Amino acid sequence: MVTVAKLIDTTTCIGCKACEAACQEWQDQPFPVGTYDGTYQTFPDVRHDFWNLIKFNEIEHADGGLSWHMAKFQCMHCVDAGCITACPAPGAIFRRDNGTVDFDHDKCIGCGYCITACPFDVPRLNPITQKVYKCNLCSDRTAVGLEPACIKACPTNCLTFGARDDLVQIATDRARTLREDGKASAGVYNPAGVGGTNVIYVLEDAAHPEDYGLPNDPTVPWTVRVWQGPLKWLGNAALVGGILGTFFHYIRFGPRHADEESS
Amino acid sequence: MTNGWTDVANADVVLVMGGNPAENHPVGFRFAMEAKRTRKAKLVCIDPRFNRTAAVADHYVPIRSGSDIAFLGGLIHYALEGELYHADYVKQHTNAAFLIEDGFGFDEGYFSGWDAESKTYDKASWQYQKDSSGFARVDETLQNPRSVFQLLKTHYARYTPERVAEICGCSAEEFNRAAETICSTGRAGRSGTILYALGWTQHSHSVQLIHAAAMLQLLLGNIGMPGGGVNAQRGHSNIQGATDMGAWNMLPGYMKVPRAPWRSLDEYVHTNSPAPLRPDALNYWSNTSKFFVSLLKAYYGDNATRDNDYGYDFLPKIGEKDNYSWGFFFDRMNRGGLEGLISFGMNPVANGPNTVKMLSALAKLKWMIVVENFETETAAFWKASELAGEYYPGAPDAADIDTEVFLLPAACFAEKDGTFVNSSRWLQWKNQALPPPGDSKPDQEIIARLFLKLRELYEDEGGTSPEPLTSIAWDYGNAISPDLQEVAREINGQEVATGRQVPGFGALKDDGSTRCGNWLYSGSYTADGNQMARRGQEDPTGLGLYANWSWSWPANRRVLYNRASADADGKPWDESRAPIRWQGGRYTGDVPDFKADAAPDSLGSFIMLPEGVAKLFAPDFVEGPFPEHYEPAESPVDNAMHPAVGVNPSATIFTGELDTLGTRQDYPYVALTYRLTEHFHYWTKHVKTSSLLQSNFFVELPEALAAEKGIQNGDRVRVSSARGTAEGPAMVTKRIRPLQVAGRTIYQVGLPIHWGFLGRTKGPLVNNLTPSVLDPNSGTPEYKGFLVNMEKL
Amino acid sequence: MTSSVNRVERFAFSERAPHWMAALSFVYAALTGLALWTPHLFWLSDVFGGGSTIRRWHPWGGVVFAVVLGLMFRNWAREMKLDADDRQWLRKAHKYAVHDEEGLPEPGRFNAGQKMLFWVQMIATLLLFASGAVLWFPELMPRTLRLAAILIHPSVAVVSMGGIIVHIYMGTAAVPGAFRGMIQGWVRPAWARSHHPKWYRDITKS
Repeated sequence: MVTVAKLIDTTTCIGCKACEAACQEWQDQPFPVGTYDGTYQTFPDVRHDFWNLIKFNEIEHADGGLSWHMAKFQCMHCVDAGCITACPAPGAIFRRDNGTVDFDHDKCIGCGYCITACPFDVPRLNPITQKVYKCNLCSDRTAVGLEPACIKACPTNCLTFGARDDLVQIATDRARTLREDGKASAGVYNPAGVGGTNVIYVLEDAAHPEDYGLPNDPTVPWTVRVWQGPLKWLGNAALVGGILGTFFHYIRFGPRHADEESS
Repeated sequence: MTNGWTDVANADVVLVMGGNPAENHPVGFRFAMEAKRTRKAKLVCIDPRFNRTAAVADHYVPIRSGSDIAFLGGLIHYALEGELYHADYVKQHTNAAFLIEDGFGFDEGYFSGWDAESKTYDKASWQYQKDSSGFARVDETLQNPRSVFQLLKTHYARYTPERVAEICGCSAEEFNRAAETICSTGRAGRSGTILYALGWTQHSHSVQLIHAAAMLQLLLGNIGMPGGGVNAQRGHSNIQGATDMGAWNMLPGYMKVPRAPWRSLDEYVHTNSPAPLRPDALNYWSNTSKFFVSLLKAYYGDNATRDNDYGYDFLPKIGEKDNYSWGFFFDRMNRGGLEGLISFGMNPVANGPNTVKMLSALAKLKWMIVVENFETETAAFWKASELAGEYYPGAPDAADIDTEVFLLPAACFAEKDGTFVNSSRWLQWKNQALPPPGDSKPDQEIIARLFLKLRELYEDEGGTSPEPLTSIAWDYGNAISPDLQEVAREINGQEVATGRQVPGFGALKDDGSTRCGNWLYSGSYTADGNQMARRGQEDPTGLGLYANWSWSWPANRRVLYNRASADADGKPWDESRAPIRWQGGRYTGDVPDFKADAAPDSLGSFIMLPEGVAKLFAPDFVEGPFPEHYEPAESPVDNAMHPAVGVNPSATIFTGELDTLGTRQDYPYVALTYRLTEHFHYWTKHVKTSSLLQSNFFVELPEALAAEKGIQNGDRVRVSSARGTAEGPAMVTKRIRPLQVAGRTIYQVGLPIHWGFLGRTKGPLVNNLTPSVLDPNSGTPEYKGFLVNMEKL
Repeated sequence: MTSSVNRVERFAFSERAPHWMAALSFVYAALTGLALWTPHLFWLSDVFGGGSTIRRWHPWGGVVFAVVLGLMFRNWAREMKLDADDRQWLRKAHKYAVHDEEGLPEPGRFNAGQKMLFWVQMIATLLLFASGAVLWFPELMPRTLRLAAILIHPSVAVVSMGGIIVHIYMGTAAVPGAFRGMIQGWVRPAWARSHHPKWYRDITKS
């Protein structure tokens, strides 16, 4: 099956939040009345019941110019997904054939390791259900050939859904067009540190992804890799070794009985 | 819009000014983004705030709210001075060559003919010089000092970049950069569009402001061109339709409501059928009698006969000088001059300027009927003092209010079928998605039931002049709730004898043989069926005309004035962007804005106008034939152009007890109200999605002002004007830049409008701050650019 | 009272009770911890009621263990101090492992190996508790701490479990009679004399 992806062309994002509304509606999420936090942003960050957030960033440039970046933020569906690496419950976080990183909430145990392992800080724990939630790329829609709800709602064609390879090409072309049009540092955000992502961005200033609320060089943390890699095998070996060691010690040396001298 | 949303994608330059489409028209704005993406179009955003549109603009220039005419005047000057205008177009398609009477002039803020007593202009000196046949005299060389072109040059010579910068508060460099981009469209092969909205219409000089934009576009040759035009982005899904179907002074199709002096049908027709001003002017309004009589036939049916002037006498007449627009009738209401009000899909307590005046006015009514989806602030106006008395100290107490209020629940847009007319003038038929909940009824049923009951009362009990009601033709299959398809057919027009649908307004007659509810919509529901329900996506020209998608007034024309897209001989200015072509004795492409079988050089290109060409000089406007920069009624500075005449001398400024204006000493900051993308007016605060996406009112203010006042982001502040106060958290931002105006630093404060004392989320009504000041033509209040003070709480 | 002559009290009830509380909570925390650590051992969660259940109760198992370890610390910390003999014993511990106790200093109530186990478990418990708390409430903790904790918690747990495996072996199969000392609280005098001569001399002296 072809790997699908989402392209977010931030140069055409107008922060209209149609994607946020569509996400809440389609995913049947609640609609709490929020409190004011001093920005146009709906919430300070994604939540267990709010998976799709447009981040608003006011950036003042050295030359006095001003940018107001709006960038949709959600699960990146990493090719090398830290959450899958970290998850102890088999099948709770899994990759669909189309590349989507999805949750099976019947299997999720709410340990929160994925929250720690995610380089984008996306998964969130629902304190009531004790399960972790994030964007699933509307897997129920994509399964029947529909685009995710956010894509459907986007009015400016800032969001595109399709085969990952195609979108990488479109993004590359778009970035080139922007550079030709005088936006010298335009580029594609598809970070290699996580093997690339199935959510790809076109940024006008690709040298500073942090201005868009995106980590500069995201990787699956080395501690997660050590922990779920060598440490796991070393630890297992140590424990099995301990059990076997004591067993063979017993066979070789036997018990140490008390000396039976009379008192 | 002269053009349409899909057409914006054809632009090389998109000037967004007096609007924030990324915020308020995000769906239509996709075409601006498409122009950027596919044509590398440049997006120029001019606005007091660095807004959502500015965020994706190529060039942003901050200006002081209310200084737009200065900026546009500067652009006109820039185009003329640098000879960047489209000379052939100007000569061919505008009244640049027309000669004006010798008495016309402009001096220190006044045009000639000002009468200080009546505060109006005598427009005699503004008229064209006429020859013996009554046609306007012209000088094709444009060199005559009395030619419109030379007068234009003289008038705008004062609008230098430095003067623009001084008035608007931007730098001359910023202005020049914007001007360079915008005026780059002043030649064949380049198109520039202008998108505007309430940022232009809500001033005491708004009509002149839009006139200035039209003049700029005419000079640049952008009217009638794909990717050009002056495009009003309408704020409500069907506000275009509401306008097309009439207003207090307009009958459907922009025909005037009779005034008292026009005593007969003949007098009406005579007054409203202009004489041509040039020999080649088609002068389409000479057909007024056909449209008007057909309308009367639709209203009164068999009761409209040749003998009774087709029921002309049944139509209400308004006094010669009467004004029943918003501000005026509320003012009258507040003086106790109105008995009742039907507020249908309107929330004047929230929408109207000077909230306390609105509350006080409603309290003087005997009765009020509110037809709404929700209980609105208007329906609950008598609770304002109880629910939010701290904001509205002048609001009357419930105990002192005798107004009887009826709240009729109405179906919401998705609960009824019918049409939306969008900004592109497209009539798009929609189907009911859900049944209306509870007792709520569709609008036509509410109107029908009211009408039938009133008619019954008049028939049973008589009364003063019952005929206007009893003569109305009400032949719908279901009289109580007329089928909207049936109404749509009536609006399109029919032959009276056969009942056959007419194909278009060309078939309308003034002999009583046709009826038509709105001549502009004629052609929308023909013998071939409901044209508005069409969803064809063919686009043979590649210009996004989509002729088979819904139906566009007039005559399914997608680009208005499209004849001007070609030169005198009909050769397109831009071969790649030709909406129409003259081929083999007829036009192909868009429906021509021209006589369909007339050669391009046979007639003037603007067929609706008696001039036959577009008006750079408009002799019929209230406050002058050329737009002039005037300050808002409340301004922090003197008018740099003419200090003695600061404000538009013709502006409507009410002077009642509650209609106070503040001084720049007491209220040093410029405020403007605006809308947010998350909300629709005062409606969506009741809606779960919107109340989540933007829950709270806030006050946007510049960092420097916040620092001066010790205000941190999120601190609660009180904004006060001479009318009232509003309180909420501060949003301290870099996006509202302090401006240098007349050597002083001017701070601007932004106030989103969407809250009130009812709803899922609540907040202040910001119109509590706005002044009772109106544009003299449109009656639109000055919601942008009034003065406030601010304190930290 | 012949029988009492034949018995020496090894551990009082106040010592045995915390020990077995610790043992039970340790086994629970260890097995559920293994299930939470690696998908290969996730089947263990079924034994204890499923993944969500163990996610909920594993931290509480840890809390119980840590509290009980506190009691054990209070009981034994003074006796667990390592002296010069212990250090010498440890240097020759390999001889103890092959039952060649020639030249080994005579142990007291606890030999140096037991003392080492005690201190290893004490330190491990501190580390497990601290890192466990970080993992318990991931959304309240700074990410850096969490990233450290995911390494510290299992590493220390492995060391701790390794120690306990040896401890269980020593307390059951390897040293017959020791288990009864912790279950019933007494040992035979010969056992005491043989395994903890210095302690035996001390208690018979008085």
